[in-house]
Amino acid sequence: MTDLLLSQIKGGNESQFGTDEYVVNLGPQHPATHGVLRLVVKMDGETVKETIPVLGYLHRSIEKICENRTYPQCITYTDRVDYVSAMSVNLAFALATERLMGLEPPPRAQWLRMVFVELQRIASHLLWMGAFAGDIGALTPFLYGLRERERILDLFEMTCGQRLTYNYIRIGGVMIDILPEFVPKCRAFLDYFEPKIAEYEELLTYNPIFLERTRGVGLISPEMGINNGVCGPSLRGSGVACDVRKQQPYLYYDQVKFTECLEPGGDCWSRYRVRMREIRESVSLVRQCLDRLEPGPIETKLPPILKAPPASEIYSRIESSRGEMGIYLVGDGTAKPYKAKFRCASFSNTYVLDQLTRGWKLADIMAVLGSLDMIVPEVDR
Amino acid sequence: MTNDELKSKIEADFKDKITSAVISAQKELIVTVKPENYLQLCQALRDKGDYLFQHLSCLTAVDYPKENKITVVAHLWSYKYAHQVTIKLDVDRANPKAPSLEKIWQSTNWFEREVFDLYGVVFEGHSDLRRIMMPEDYTKFPLRKDFTDDGFIIKPN
Amino acid sequence: MTGEKIIQTIAAFIHQILGAAGLSGIIFIIDPVLCAVAMFGFISLFVMFLVWMERKVSAHMQSRIGPNRVGIFGLLQTVADAVKLTIKEDVKPIHRDVIPYTIAPILAFVATFAGMVVIPFDKGIVVQDLNIGLLYIIAITSFTVIAILSAGWSSNNKFALLGGFRSAAQIVSYEVPLVLSLVPIIMTTGTLRLGGIVDYQAGHRWFIFSQQAIAFFIFITAATAEANRAPFDIPEAESELIGGFHTEYSGVKFAMFFLGEYIAVIVSSAVAVTVFLGGWLPLPFLGFLHLPGFVWFMAKLIFVIYLIMAFRWTFPRLRVDQLMDFGWKVLIPIAILNVLATGFVILLLEGGV
Repeated sequence: MTDLLLSQIKGGNESQFGTDEYVVNLGPQHPATHGVLRLVVKMDGETVKETIPVLGYLHRSIEKICENRTYPQCITYTDRVDYVSAMSVNLAFALATERLMGLEPPPRAQWLRMVFVELQRIASHLLWMGAFAGDIGALTPFLYGLRERERILDLFEMTCGQRLTYNYIRIGGVMIDILPEFVPKCRAFLDYFEPKIAEYEELLTYNPIFLERTRGVGLISPEMGINNGVCGPSLRGSGVACDVRKQQPYLYYDQVKFTECLEPGGDCWSRYRVRMREIRESVSLVRQCLDRLEPGPIETKLPPILKAPPASEIYSRIESSRGEMGIYLVGDGTAKPYKAKFRCASFSNTYVLDQLTRGWKLADIMAVLGSLDMIVPEVDR
Repeated sequence: MTNDELKSKIEADFKDKITSAVISAQKELIVTVKPENYLQLCQALRDKGDYLFQHLSCLTAVDYPKENKITVVAHLWSYKYAHQVTIKLDVDRANPKAPSLEKIWQSTNWFEREVFDLYGVVFEGHSDLRRIMMPEDYTKFPLRKDFTDDGFIIKPN
Repeated sequence: MTGEKIIQTIAAFIHQILGAAGLSGIIFIIDPVLCAVAMFGFISLFVMFLVWMERKVSAHMQSRIGPNRVGIFGLLQTVADAVKLTIKEDVKPIHRDVIPYTIAPILAFVATFAGMVVIPFDKGIVVQDLNIGLLYIIAITSFTVIAILSAGWSSNNKFALLGGFRSAAQIVSYEVPLVLSLVPIIMTTGTLRLGGIVDYQAGHRWFIFSQQAIAFFIFITAATAEANRAPFDIPEAESELIGGFHTEYSGVKFAMFFLGEYIAVIVSSAVAVTVFLGGWLPLPFLGFLHLPGFVWFMAKLIFVIYLIMAFRWTFPRLRVDQLMDFGWKVLIPIAILNVLATGFVILLLEGGV
């Protein structure tokens, strides 16, 4: 299989490899936490000449499946597109369908959606922090991040009964109203968690070894990043203002105060700093949304069968934990989408891996891949 | 710029190069372009001062077997002006060929590979057009509407 | 009841038995053999304890619990792991180079274990207090490089070879600051005998409190690198991606390599305790407790080993080239400056300038 692949890559054959080059297969089974991504790395001694990601090991044809399911049935599949940040994908699809059909959820549903999506962003960034530190070699922050994430998952479980694949944000609103003890528990969690962020930053941010491994590594310049489709915190680490919540506000993001976290460096360290700052911003966002919650209905009245208008289409984007998540829906007057495309941040972010690691060492591939916050189910769908 | 301003500006700048420019009921500007002007339009949209569509959000395709065409759809976004436009290009379904946007936005490298893999559209000028999700020796195009996966169903004799 | 007296009592007792059995002629053979056996038994138990300690320390640092099923507080966990490793199938690659492949793990274990011969646990409790003790330890622990290289080469695996090369380069590079950090001690005390160094510290302050604190930190860093432990565990970590020198080993042979690593940690920590922390001497203000010397020694040993374990779970890993840079361009100049400064100070104090 590798021979077939290699013979197809740029028409190369055995004689193209110099006497010093060899090929390493960072195979689909990784002890690292990224999932089934295969990297074929051509190396010269210690230095990486080329990195070729081989995708498709987690391709589950979600887009094709969605063409044969009704719009509410598709929501269950969206959880699996990015299982670390499932609420965001739920929201993306629900928003896209609502825009396609002209539905408007009630205010309480919108505020609840914001609370859960921002909590999900914190959980996703905590897992990312643990995985990134683990790739670099510091094995302890992984446990700390998961410990805090457990509390968020407890909040989710209290609300919708699920810890990973929520299916909570539905078309027209949310699935079920929160319990009365949700708000005090959430506030208690935020009060407990906010000082912990400082602890984790103290462990990692100015550690000399961490700085050596991440400073200057994986430099993305703003022009190169935009042209190559990098988005989300990875691009904000290069100083480009690209937050969808600011540029094209959805839900009630234009009514709350938060700053977009930009860092000028463009290297792995800047991307790490961006995400740590985003955790703090999300904490403040959740607090603001909890303050603005008013009693009310949580779902609009929907027709018994949701049908899209004939010959309609929408491209709707949100800011998920990894970057821009866009859903392109084409409706044809029936209850099932004619086409559903998931534009995932990890897919475009992984493309730059090759350009970022040429000339660097093997250990830098893991550092760069970790800093791009790539999740394989998003890449393959 | 608002959608109306964009629409009038695009119609003014590219009047005979595009087939149509409509604002849909969902408030999106959709521009359908002729194949020979596709690259020129996209280059201008990326570089000209008022447009500055530096970011290609998504490139995908929709299969219309009844109209015997595959539509290549590109969504562009401008970080500076925060406006969006959708560019559509119809290609013949029997022999789908489209110009490649790789020289303009490098992110289309993988998007076009995916469209080639799942729909069969050949992008001319692409540096490395091969399958991305399916195995290298796969022969079918899964997201087409007439796709059947009979290779995986065991039919009783 | 000092340690010396305990050992003399036991020795007298054994000599009495042998004399009664009419075998006094072979006492000169029996003595070292019994010492070696006792040392081996002690090391085995201590390593088992250390493995348990590492798992518990790492667990509590990571807000977990660690082993708590097998035995009280999980103390018998290592026994369970050892049993598992011994009954595992010994998978060997077909095209291996048989002799180096078999010798490598044995050599890795023996080389480090032989260093325990000169470590003084108390005033009289030492297997053989050689005149050239420090030199002997440094020399004999260098054999691990041969073990690693043979393991990498004989595995007939491209990636094991690379991992072996890297590990060997790392160990050889960090030998230099290791030795250089000990040179000022030798200059100050004038002796290579470990017992003599501890005696010197009895009269003066311990070296870590007086002028050699820098040397202590250099020594601990270099010792961590020698044992292939984090943050210098490139061979272990990149074994996720490529494979370290021990990829093709399984079962008992694999266990020998890691036994060797733990014993290297024990030997380095024991040297650090003896040379910098005063060996078996009690803490200055707690001398009134009249505890035997080896209790103090073991306490200090466990403290230093705990430090080395805490390093592993706190710091990220260094990249290979950064590791070499750090060893050659940072540690060695500091160590050399330390030597120069110590020499200068000695000259001043004795020369009466």
